[in-house]
Amino acid sequence: MSGRLSQGQIIAAVGAVVLLVAMFLPWWGVSASDLGVHVPSGAQLPPGVNLPSGVSASHTENVWKGSTLDIYLLITAVVALLPALMALTDSAEEFSFVSAATFLLGVIAVILILAFMTVDFPPVGTTKYGCWLGGLASIAIAFGGFRSMQEEVAGEI
Amino acid sequence: MDANRLSQGQLVAAIGAIALFIISFLPWFGVSGAVTVGGTTIGGSKNFTLWEAENPLDIYLLIVILVALAPAVMSLLGDGADAPMAPFATTLLAGVGTILILYQVFDTPGDADRKVGLFLGLLACAAITVGGYLWMQEEAGGERY
Repeated sequence: MSGRLSQGQIIAAVGAVVLLVAMFLPWWGVSASDLGVHVPSGAQLPPGVNLPSGVSASHTENVWKGSTLDIYLLITAVVALLPALMALTDSAEEFSFVSAATFLLGVIAVILILAFMTVDFPPVGTTKYGCWLGGLASIAIAFGGFRSMQEEVAGEI
Repeated sequence: MDANRLSQGQLVAAIGAIALFIISFLPWFGVSGAVTVGGTTIGGSKNFTLWEAENPLDIYLLIVILVALAPAVMSLLGDGADAPMAPFATTLLAGVGTILILYQVFDTPGDADRKVGLFLGLLACAAITVGGYLWMQEEAGGERY
């Protein structure tokens, strides 16, 4: 299968899989200290006292809750995966626009994730590793798309 | 400036982009509520423009507007720099933008109310997509109005 894929398409496809996984990891989180509540180290709840279910000292959310970023990143990942899916299904279809689309969508995904981490970030909380992993995966998708475009121009496929 | 420098598709995309920029300042979402205190009901509502809603859609649509408008402005200013990817980029990004706005119509943030800007924005983004597609066809056919 990978013999039919160019190097750029493989990079984009790997980036897309990582992005899809990252979308289910925590992107932002809020803890008691973010809200100005400081629990002394070593403090424990009295014996027999349990927090109600769903209540904890910290809370994290993935990218699926709250904005259109989830749908955008899903579209980006699907477009980046398209050549690999075609190769998997032994389809003879050739989509000449996919490399350019992957590059464009990947670049804008990086911009939108950077915006999420800065100007669009929820008022309380901190970024979590899912956000960083998603950003790196988007960079990989953009680079893979760019490389794939170069390979198409050079006729290396 | 001479509008005849622009192809029909480029013109449609540029007009759609200007319309979308103006529409972005209209109300897109709204929240309303009422509380009853001591038998007196107090109600209130607040509308949000695209820029006020906490959503990356504003940044994305700004990119769409710039991608659709920049080549038209360059052509009008006489700097007809060759940008072979511009029609494709306009069609792709505006098409995805249309899908994102449509998604917001069905799934508003925080169950907010839908306002006129949301629907007008959807139409404007769809117009940019159609303009970009026409522009691609014209480039492929070598038509220039």
